[in-house]
Amino acid sequence: MLTSRDVSSLVIDRLCDQAQGQNVAVACFYFDFAAQREQPSTSMLGALLKQVVSGMEEVPGEIAKAYENQKRVIGGRRPELSDILKMLQTISSENLTFICIDALDECAAEHRVKVLDSLHQIRQKSPGTRIFVTGRPHIQDEIGRRISGRLTTIRITPKRDDVIGYLRARLGEDTNPDAMDSSLEADILKKIPNDISEMYVYATTPRKLLRVIH
Amino acid sequence: MGADVWELDWAVLRYPGVSIKAPLFFSSSQFHQLTNSIIYPPPLSKQQKMAHKYSFNTIDSHNKVWNNCTITDGRSQLLTWLSPLEPSLRHQDIRERRIGGVGEWLLQTEEFRSWRSGSGEDESDGAVLFGHGDPGVGKTFIW
Repeated sequence: MLTSRDVSSLVIDRLCDQAQGQNVAVACFYFDFAAQREQPSTSMLGALLKQVVSGMEEVPGEIAKAYENQKRVIGGRRPELSDILKMLQTISSENLTFICIDALDECAAEHRVKVLDSLHQIRQKSPGTRIFVTGRPHIQDEIGRRISGRLTTIRITPKRDDVIGYLRARLGEDTNPDAMDSSLEADILKKIPNDISEMYVYATTPRKLLRVIH
Repeated sequence: MGADVWELDWAVLRYPGVSIKAPLFFSSSQFHQLTNSIIYPPPLSKQQKMAHKYSFNTIDSHNKVWNNCTITDGRSQLLTWLSPLEPSLRHQDIRERRIGGVGEWLLQTEEFRSWRSGSGEDESDGAVLFGHGDPGVGKTFIW
């Protein structure tokens, strides 16, 4: 209903909307348990750099040069973490940079350390860089320990409007609309409390939801 | 004649925007004269086609775009070199499935606003915004 992925994508869209035409760079990354092997820290940070670069009119000279140089090595050579970090540091010192990372807790622990340390180093060079991270509560301490600066937390929990929006969308795509009549729908929408608790998250059908609310 | 028309279709299909309006009553030789005067660039890969929106009308700009494609191709190789991962595609996928308006309240919170605008005397204030949710809330659907 309201996943951290939704929130991350919403934040990214909002940042991108406001970034247009200004010296602002936005990069995002979505971690995924199922793809842990394919998401090592080097590829992840490289992906951040890639997004920032693709938004630029011209590839920064430093990066173009590094790319040309590696082509001379037989078979080519992927950039190393330290190279990527340096390039990210350069760009973030010239542009206000926003980095959004979804589900950091789904990144493998050994890579998470490297990701957080890299973010810390980017922020050391450019203290204006802002980072948005989502994840389960237990990784909060780890983030605070590894990245300097104030850590603000915000709880992602569905609000009344989220539930209504979600219910409306789901009811709209119901393949069996006869099971729901307008009075039941109105009743459900009316009875949704302002601060919905997690209890309702487990209600799996409109009727069950109604029962829970009663 | 049928083959000629097919050839024309082929050109238009591959390079949409190049409008060679050969009337159907063109004789075979006329048609060949027309098509032979065009130097066709190599066919574009699917990726190149997706990477580029074509907006050219004449044969001259056609060639120009061809050059652009070469440059674009080098650029996309460089980007792939930086990382094989495509978080922008993942982002598109997630945003398309997002229900309009859901989570909008978060953008209105004081926490988000001050993080975004970087308010506070020290720039490093509010450097990191951490959104946390229990797995039940954050990761599952209600039905």
